[in-house]
Amino acid sequence: MLQLDAITKHYPTRQGLVRAVEAVSLTVAPRSTLALVGESGCGKTTIAKMILRLETPTAGRILFEGQDIAAMDRIAVHRYRRAVMAVFQDPYASLNPRMRVGAIIAEPILAHENPGRAAVTRRIEEVLDIVGLPAGAARLYPHEFSGGQRQRIAIARALALQPRLMVLDEPVSALDVSIRAQVLNLLQDIQDEFGLTYLVIAHDLALVEHFSSDVAVIYLGRVAETGPTAEVFAQPRHPYTRALLAAVPQPDPDHILSEAAAAGEIASALNPPPGCRFHPRCPRAMDLCRTTVPVPSAPPHITACHAPHEGAPT
Amino acid sequence: MTLLTVENLQTHLHLQRGILRAVDGVSLHVDGGETLGLVGESGSGKTMTGLSLLRLLPEGSGRIAGGSIRLDGTELTELSETTLARDIRGSRIAMIMQDPMTSLNPVFSIGDQVGSPLRNHGIARGARLRSAVIDVLQRVRIPSPDQRLGDYPHQFSGGQRQRVVAAMAIGCTPRLLIADEPTTALDVTIQVQIIALLRRIQGETGAGIILITHDLGVAASLCHRIAVMYAGQIVETAPVRRLYRAPAHPYTRALLAAIPRLGDKRARLAAIPGQPPSLIDPPIGCRFAPRCAERMDKCAQAPPLTDLGDGHTASCWKLGTA
Amino acid sequence: MNKKKQKNFIHGLSGLPWAALGVIAVVLICAAGGEALLPQDPGDLDLGAAFRPPFWLDGGDLATPLGADNLGRDILSRIMAGARVTVIVAFYAILLSGSLGALIGMIAGFFGGWVDQVLMRFIEIQQSIPSIALALLLAAALEPGLSTVVVVIVLTYWAWYARIIRGEILALKGRDYVAFARIAGVSTPVIFLRHLLPNIFNTLIVLATLQVGQVILFEASLSFLGLGIQQPDISWGLMLADARQYITNAWWAITMPGIAIMLTCLAANVFGDWLRDRLDPKLRQL
Repeated sequence: MLQLDAITKHYPTRQGLVRAVEAVSLTVAPRSTLALVGESGCGKTTIAKMILRLETPTAGRILFEGQDIAAMDRIAVHRYRRAVMAVFQDPYASLNPRMRVGAIIAEPILAHENPGRAAVTRRIEEVLDIVGLPAGAARLYPHEFSGGQRQRIAIARALALQPRLMVLDEPVSALDVSIRAQVLNLLQDIQDEFGLTYLVIAHDLALVEHFSSDVAVIYLGRVAETGPTAEVFAQPRHPYTRALLAAVPQPDPDHILSEAAAAGEIASALNPPPGCRFHPRCPRAMDLCRTTVPVPSAPPHITACHAPHEGAPT
Repeated sequence: MTLLTVENLQTHLHLQRGILRAVDGVSLHVDGGETLGLVGESGSGKTMTGLSLLRLLPEGSGRIAGGSIRLDGTELTELSETTLARDIRGSRIAMIMQDPMTSLNPVFSIGDQVGSPLRNHGIARGARLRSAVIDVLQRVRIPSPDQRLGDYPHQFSGGQRQRVVAAMAIGCTPRLLIADEPTTALDVTIQVQIIALLRRIQGETGAGIILITHDLGVAASLCHRIAVMYAGQIVETAPVRRLYRAPAHPYTRALLAAIPRLGDKRARLAAIPGQPPSLIDPPIGCRFAPRCAERMDKCAQAPPLTDLGDGHTASCWKLGTA
Repeated sequence: MNKKKQKNFIHGLSGLPWAALGVIAVVLICAAGGEALLPQDPGDLDLGAAFRPPFWLDGGDLATPLGADNLGRDILSRIMAGARVTVIVAFYAILLSGSLGALIGMIAGFFGGWVDQVLMRFIEIQQSIPSIALALLLAAALEPGLSTVVVVIVLTYWAWYARIIRGEILALKGRDYVAFARIAGVSTPVIFLRHLLPNIFNTLIVLATLQVGQVILFEASLSFLGLGIQQPDISWGLMLADARQYITNAWWAITMPGIAIMLTCLAANVFGDWLRDRLDPKLRQL
C-alpha cells in the first residue's frame, strides 16, 4: 500500500546540515497499522510530513499503491490528497476556531467535488454519526466541545472523503486518560468498518502494542528495528528497543523500571554519532558500532544492529 | 510522623461564568520520607491542590475558601503572604513543575538560578555559595557541575534541565516537595532517570513528596500511597499495592481498565463513557455517577467516606452497604 | 421573538459600549453635518471676545460655551468644524495604510522565500526613514494640505501593518488546520480566504483603532509644522498648534481640542476592543 524506499531528509540550517531522516525504508500493508515510535527529535514527524507531501524528501522514493508520490502530475496529486488524510495531536489547534463544525467537515469534500448542498449535509451527518456525535454538532463552533469531542470532529473531517490511508500523529496523547480509550476504540472500529490503513506516530509503547499491527522503532533518523508488533515486543532485538520497553512505567507497583538500559540522552541530528547512531548510549557497544553503520537484517523482523539480542528480555 | 495534614480544603476560582470549585473538600496527609501520589485527569483539581498548599493560585481569581493546611503543626492558611514567602515557599515546601523550559529563566545562568533560593533563605552566602551550588548540582547528577555553573538553560538537554529544576527545589532541603507532572514533558528513557532521581533525593533528605500526575504508571513506580481525584474531590486513597490490586472506587477501577499496558492482550480497551463534569455546576451527589457503570438511586446523594482498613478509604455507596 | 432570543437580544444590547458609540456618533454627526449645525461661524473674528474663558468661569459667556481663542473665535464651533478634517484624514489614512500594509504583509508571509526577503527589506528601509523628514520632502514636492497629510500617513504606517500582519500569517500558516487543508487538497486561494484572512481580521481591527489616536496626533504635528492642513481650514491639530503660544493665559484654547482628541481616541479604542471580542466566536457567547 505504502512503501518508503530509503528516504532521507536533510535541512540546511545556519549551524549546519540537520540529518533529520536517513535512509528510512518501511512498508505498510493495506488494512494494517504501522506505528512509528521513538523519542522526540527522532524524525518520526518528518517522515509523516513527507508521506503527507508537506515536505519533500532529499533522497529516496515514497510509493503509494505503486506510484511515486514525488513524480505525480497535478491530477494524480489531487487523487492522492483525496486518498490520504491526517489526524493531529492537539485537537485545539487542528480545528479553525472561526468555522462551524459542519464547514470544517465539508472542507475536504468541497475541495474535490461539488455534490450539492443536500448531499454535503447528508455526508456531514453520516460522518458525525460514525464518530458518535449528534447531527446538531454541525451548527456549533469547535470551542463548544471538549478535547475528546474535538478529536472526534477531526476524525470525522478526515473520514469525510473515505480515504484509504490515515496518518495519525499522536492522536490521543493530548486527551485525558478516561477519554483516550474512547477515541482509540473509535479509531479501531473505523478501521475495521472501512478497511483503512493507519500510520500512527506515538510515544506510548503500551498504546502502540495495543493499537498497531506493525511497529518501526526510529532512533535519530534511522530505523533501529521494525516488524510485526507482537514479535518486536515479545523478542526485541535492538538494544534501543529493549531500553524503551524497560523504561515504560507500568501501572503495577511491583514492576521494576530499568534505568541502566539507555544511558544519557539522544544526540543532536546536527551532528549525529558516526557508525550506529545509538552507540554512545548503548550498553553493548563495540568498536565496530562506533565506525560502521549496521546493515538491516532480513524482513519481516528487521534489525539494524551489530550485536542484536536474542530471545525474550529477562 | 505526619508532616503535612490537609483538612477539607476548598479552593475557588472566581471566573466570569461563576465560581469554579476547583478543590472541593480535599483531606490528605503526607509523612516525612513518604511519597503521596495525587492522580487525576486534567481539571480534577490535583494541580490546584498542589498550588493551594503554597498559596500560588491564579492572581485575582483564585482563593482558598476554607479548610486547613498544617505543616509540622504550623497552620499555613493563617500565615501572612510575607511570612509564607519568607519561611515556607522554596524553603520548607518546594515545587518542581512540568516544563523545565518554562521553570528556568533563559537569561540567567544555572549557577545564579540554583543559588538564588540558597541566598534568599540564608543557607549560603558569598564564597560558600559557589560550593553549595556545586554540591546541589552534584546531588542531581549534573556532570562536572563546576564547569557548568555559568551555562544557560538552553545549553542543557531536556533531561538535564529537569535535573537543574530539581536542584533549585532541593537546595534548601525542603521538608515537602511538590512535583507536578515532573516527567510528562520528557521521553521515556529520560523519564525513568528523573524517577530514579526523585527516589534518591527522598532517600537522602527524608522529604515528603506529593507527586501530581495523570500517569498511573509513573505513580505506581514512585508512590507509597495514592489519592485518586475526580472533579475536585478525592474519591479513593490507598497504599499503592492496595490501589492497583484491589481498587475500591468504580472510577479507579474504570481508569485502570481504560489504559493499555504492555503485554496486555485485550482486543478493546474498556472506555469510560462521557466526560468529566463542569466544576462550576457539578452534579449533585456522587460526581462520578453520571459516568458510572454501577450507578444506583442512592448516588443522587453524596456518598460518605468509607474506611476499608489499612489506610484505604473510598467514597462510594457500594462500599457503605457492603 | 421567543424568550431565549429576546434574552440574547437584550444581553447583546447591554454589552454594547454605549459611551464610546455616543462619542463616535457625535464626531461623525459634526463631520457630516457641516455648517448647518454650527452655533457660530467658526471663522468669525470678534476681537472683543478674544481669550474669553468658558462659560463657567468668571467673564465667561454662554455664546461661546467653551471659550474663545486669541481672535475671539468660538472654540466649540471650531471643534465641531474641525471634526470633519479629522474624520476624513483618519478614515482615508487608516483605510489606505491598513489595506496596503495588510496586503504586503500577507504576500510576504504567505509566499515566503525571496518574495518575503525583498518585501522585508523594503519594510526595514521604510521604517528607518524618519517620518517627519519624509513629510518635509513630500510637502516640498506636493502642495501642503489634506491629501498630503493622508499620503504621508499612509507612507509612514503601511510598514507597521505589514510587519505585524506578516508575523500573524507566519504563525497561522503553521497551524494544524492549515496543514490539514493542504493535506486534503484545498487550493491555495481557498486556504488564504478561509483560514488566513478571517484570522488576521482581529489584528487589523485592533491596529486600526490604535491608529486613530496616532493619526489625529500625526495630523496635528504636520499641521503644526505647516505641512498639513492650512488656514482657513480647521483641524483639531491646527487648533492645538495655534493655541500653543497662549497656553499660559488661555488654557482652554488648547485644552478643549485636546479633550476632543482624547475622547475620540478613547472611544475608538473601546469600540475596537468590543468589536474584536464580538468577532471572536470563542468570546462571543460568554
